[in-house]
Parts: sequence; C-alpha cells; structure tokens
Amino acid sequence: MRKILVIARHEFIATVTRKGYIFAVVGMPLFFLVIAAIPMIVETSGDGSSKERGAVAVIDRAGVVDFGLAAEVIEQVGATSDASSSLEPKKGLQLIPYEDLDRALADLQRRRIQACYVIESDYMTTGKVSVYVRDEGLFSRLNPKGERELYALLRASLVKGRVPEPMLQRVLRPVNLTSMKVSERGHVQPSESEWSEVTKLIGPFGMFILLTMAIFFSSGYLLQGMAEDKQNRVIEILFSSVTPEQLLAGKIIGLGAAGLLQVTFYALVLLIPSMVLVVTVQVGIGQILLSLVYFGLGYLLFASLMAGTGILGSTVQESNQLAAVWTISSMVPLFVLGPISESPHSALARGFSYFPLTAPVTMLLRISLTTVPVIDILVSVGSLIVGIFLAVRGAAKVFRAASLMYGKRPGLSEILRWLREA
Amino acid sequence: MTAISLRGVRKSFDSLVAVDDVSLDVERGEIFGLLGPNGAGKTTMIRMIMDIIRPDAGRIEIFGQHLTERVKEHIGYLPEERGLYTRQKVLSVLEYFARLKGATRAQARQSALTWMERLGLTEMKDKKVGELSKGNQQKVQLVATLVGDPEILILDEPFTGLDPVNTRMVSTVIREQAAAGKTVLLSTHQMALVETLCERVFMIHRGRRVLYGHLDEIKRRYSDNAVLVRAAVDYRQCPLIARTVPENGTMRVYLNAGVQPRDFLAWLLQAGAEVEAFERATTPLEDIFIKVVQEGGG
Repeated sequence: MRKILVIARHEFIATVTRKGYIFAVVGMPLFFLVIAAIPMIVETSGDGSSKERGAVAVIDRAGVVDFGLAAEVIEQVGATSDASSSLEPKKGLQLIPYEDLDRALADLQRRRIQACYVIESDYMTTGKVSVYVRDEGLFSRLNPKGERELYALLRASLVKGRVPEPMLQRVLRPVNLTSMKVSERGHVQPSESEWSEVTKLIGPFGMFILLTMAIFFSSGYLLQGMAEDKQNRVIEILFSSVTPEQLLAGKIIGLGAAGLLQVTFYALVLLIPSMVLVVTVQVGIGQILLSLVYFGLGYLLFASLMAGTGILGSTVQESNQLAAVWTISSMVPLFVLGPISESPHSALARGFSYFPLTAPVTMLLRISLTTVPVIDILVSVGSLIVGIFLAVRGAAKVFRAASLMYGKRPGLSEILRWLREA
Repeated sequence: MTAISLRGVRKSFDSLVAVDDVSLDVERGEIFGLLGPNGAGKTTMIRMIMDIIRPDAGRIEIFGQHLTERVKEHIGYLPEERGLYTRQKVLSVLEYFARLKGATRAQARQSALTWMERLGLTEMKDKKVGELSKGNQQKVQLVATLVGDPEILILDEPFTGLDPVNTRMVSTVIREQAAAGKTVLLSTHQMALVETLCERVFMIHRGRRVLYGHLDEIKRRYSDNAVLVRAAVDYRQCPLIARTVPENGTMRVYLNAGVQPRDFLAWLLQAGAEVEAFERATTPLEDIFIKVVQEGGG
C-alpha cells in the first residue's frame, strides 16, 4: 500500500505541476468568462448611454399612435417575454415619437437609436409600416428591435376609447397564464416559473456536468501518463520495484485526484457567479451520494480501460487514437441528451443505464433530472462492477505483456491472446 | 552464499524457445558476467530474474527465496531499454526511484544527492532530465539503479553510449560495489571489460548454456596450446613447434599436440637461448565468444 501511495503522490504532483494542467485549470474558466463577457462589453461600451441603447424612433404619419400607452405596453410585452422565452428581462426599450425621417435616419447612423418605424399615412387601409435599421448583416434585418412592442402599441392605440377599460387591459395583456403540471402518477400541482425550475436544476445538472468532466479528465490523464511512461521506457524500471497491479492502482488514485481537483476548482469558479445571481443551488444529499457512486465507478471503469489502451500505443498520439473507441462509446448518451432529458425513464435511458460503457454518464444525467427507480440503480451498479472487474483484469494482463513491446503496436489477435492467458 | 539461483528455467514465446533449461548460481559479492550474442536470451533471463516476465518452467531464487516485493527492494536494475521521466527534474526522479525501493523521503534525498555528487551530477539536480546530454542521462540512469542502496545490481549493457572516461568511472563504481559485498550481474558485449571485471561468466546462445564457470578456466580450456616467448633463438630448429606468429614484440608459439609448455621451455634452455619472457598464451574472451557463436555450441 505504501508503494501505491508513493506512486499516487508522484503522479499527482507530476500532473498538477504541468503547464498543460495549469492552463486547463485556470485558463479554461478564464477563457469562457472572456467569451461570456465579450457580448456584454460590446453592448455596454457602444457609443451611447443606457437610455440610447434601446431607443426606437416611431414616425406616425397616420396619426394613430397613442404614445401615452407606450410605457405600459412595453412593460406588458417585457413581462410576457420574460415568462416565455428569455431569462433576462428586457430593460431600457423606449418608443420615441419622431417627426422628421431625415433626423431619425441621422440618429440611426449615429447609433442614437436602434431602429426607425414609419407608420405610413395610408396605414388604416393598407397596414403599411416601414422600418429602417442599420445594415449590420443578416440578423439586424431579420429581427428589428422594438417590433413586438410597436405592434402591441398599435393594437392598444387602435382600440383605446373604443372599448371598455377591462377589454383594453385584455388587449394589452390577453393571457395571465397559470400552468399546472401532471405527474406520472396523475398528481396535479401548480408549475413553478421556468426560471425557478431552471434554478432548481442548476445544482444537479452542474454536478452531472462536473462529474462527467472529472471522469474524462482523469482517465485522459491516465491514458497520457501510461503512454508517456511507455514512450519514456520507464515501465521496466518501475516493474523492478512494483507489480503491474500496484502501478495501475497508484496511477488511478493519483490521476483521479488530479482530475477531481480540476473540477473542484471549476465548481468553485461556477459557484461565485451563481452566488452573485442569487441562485440557490439545491442538491439533495441522496443525489450527491448517488452521483459520487457513479462518478467513482465510472472513473474506475474508464481509468482501467484507458490504462490498458495507453500501454498499447508506441507513442502518446497512437494511444490517443486507440482510446477514441472508449471516449466515443462513453459520450453516446450525450448525443441523445435531449430525448433522455425529456423522458428519463424511457427504454433508451434505461438501456443506456444498464450498459457499463454508457451507464456512468446516463445515470449521472438521470439522477440530476429525476428520482431513478431502485431497480435501475441496482442493475446499472451491478453491470458497472462487472465491467470494472473485467477492465481491471484485462488492463493488468495487457500491461504486463505490452509494456515491454517497444516500437511496434500489438495486433488485435495478440491482445486477445494476452487477455485469454492467465 | 548464493545471491541469484536459476534451476531448469525455461521460457518460450510462441514457437521460439528464448531460454531453455538454464541453471546457474551467482555468488554473493562477485561480479558475474552474462554473455551472449544479440537475441541469445540474456534480456529474457534478466527479466525473469526481475519477475517482469514469468518462466514457463523452473525456479528462480534470490538469497534463497522467491522474488517477493521485499526482495525486489534489494535489487537495483538497469534495463537495456533505458528510460527516465524526461520532463521531470533529475533530483525528483531519483528520489522517486529510491522511494519505490523502500527508502524514506529523507533517505531517498540523501542517497540521491550523495550519488549525484559521486558521479558529478550535483549541478544538474534541478534540471529536467530531457535537458541533459546523453552521457549525463546515462549517469542519471546508473544513479537510479544505485540510489536504493541495493544488495544486488543487475546491469544490462551498462557501458552502451559511454565515452572512455565514463566507461572507466562506471567500471570503478562496479568494482567498489563488489568490494563492499554487493553482487553484480553484468550483461555486456564488451568482452575486454568482462575480462577485467568478472570472475565468473555464463554464456547463453540460442537460449542454451554454452559456457559457464571461472573465466580463467574457460580461457585455459579454449587456449590452443600456445606460449608467448621473447627469446633470441631460431624457432625452426625446434621439433616441438607447429608454427609461430609474431605478436607485439613477442612470438606466439603454437606447440605440437601433446607437447607441454615446460617441454618447450626445457628445449629453449638446452639450446642456450636467453629467455626474456615466457608465458602460457590464453585466448582472448572475444575470440572464444566468436568461436562459440560460430560453432553454434560449447
């Protein structure tokens, strides 16, 4: 055991002091933060104040618009869109009456306004409205700013004074939706808003993402470490002091710890913005424990497979190519993330949960979404344990035989023979 | 006391018999030469001794017991395929190898520093292994073998890639280790070094033993009844001689079958020759090696 810990410590320190690791740990969150910040910076920098950011000019040649309704209309449209499509409330949009098109176009060019709508004088008979936007590519013309707000303002202006006040309110806000959800057992209960549903999922789903990442990071390090040891020809020296099993165990512990440290750092980096957004990250203790079980089993499975594969190639690159077969198989559940998320108890989800290569990712995902039936947990844990047993035994056998083969890659028949041999 | 013992050891890879019924004993404190042409089975034998590969048959014992993890800690192994962590610092690599041999952290550091100083590597302790010259990497490799203070040293081609200065230094280290009671199993192609270092040798060819025993005995066995003589005499007059070959200021004199060197010496004295030098000529190990390999047996 002492030697296993010596190996684990050495592998951990060797990995976490590498430039590549430090870049991945610190650089990646920074990179994503910068990517996320760019649109915000672009939007806020511009050349105008927040007031000008959402200003839209309206030239009413038909004399139908009641600008006194604008504020209320904008508020109602904003409230509807908040609840349906966007998590971020729209703020600062203004519909400003303009008289002169030339002046409006000049302001448009100077970026003082985002768009200019002209309600033509024959609007009442033709419905004709022209819109002027800056030519900034396809998307600027597809969805001009303030379009929904203007339509709502026109509707409200047209009926104001012609219908009773309550009806005007319904025109302004036709639906005050209450949504209910029906469980699989037929229980009906009020549904929370999408935003609160989403915040409830952030914790479990974040845990799913992080633990999945940890499995792949750590087993990736193991693959690389094994391939490097073989390329550097140190395995024979190591075998003069330790058994293949001790080497495998030491590497699995040391590199697993390096991978966990990496995602712990990511988790902390993610926690800070969620605290800023005042999102309560809710994760049940049962969810955490079960997820950790699948993380541990998943890591052991892929680490053993990667170790056995890493030793086969003559170079790191060659080993990476060989290991793609495991990486792709384990990623399959992510390709059907949508269907599994929509029905976490479907035959597809359950099938993937029972197969060792796809079980860790599928189960981590299902645990993050719903309460998984006990039978599914038992079957998937059982299949993973069998998978790990076979992978560890296979890796140790391949290890002993392949670690001393320098310069050539063993064929499939050779690998199968090693696996059959005692 | 026997340090390494092999009895009836056999190993085959598919249809190729790499080591066939090999038995030998390496005594404690001796420098034992393991010889053989490329592909003869030397490295397979060494890997079986190290339990890196398992024999199909036979028994291998170190200090009278099977190779356990504890026993492994007493063996320093320099494999033919050299390897180090090229991206790591010299000192930390050496400490790691010492710790795998059972040393505590403090012992590992002390031992690594001592050996580095001994081999002139102290200034390189904080450099990455990959930044060192090939010769210095070879020295680091040797230190990695010695750093655990092993009782047995198994060195597979330790002189490969070394210049004459470093070759002499490694030879000196090997001698010092033997003088300190350590056992050295030396596998090499450099016959001249084997002659100066080893007391006993084992030669393997096509997986089988072809020579085994004290070097002097083997050389005597393979000597071709010749003597090296420096004397002013007309050799053609001697009826005991088959032929003569000049050699470095002396004459290599091949005697007829059944003639003893003392008979020839008596003839020289009787002929009134002034004998400046007279010694039994031995066959260089290299010639024995080539002869055995060409004959394909012992």
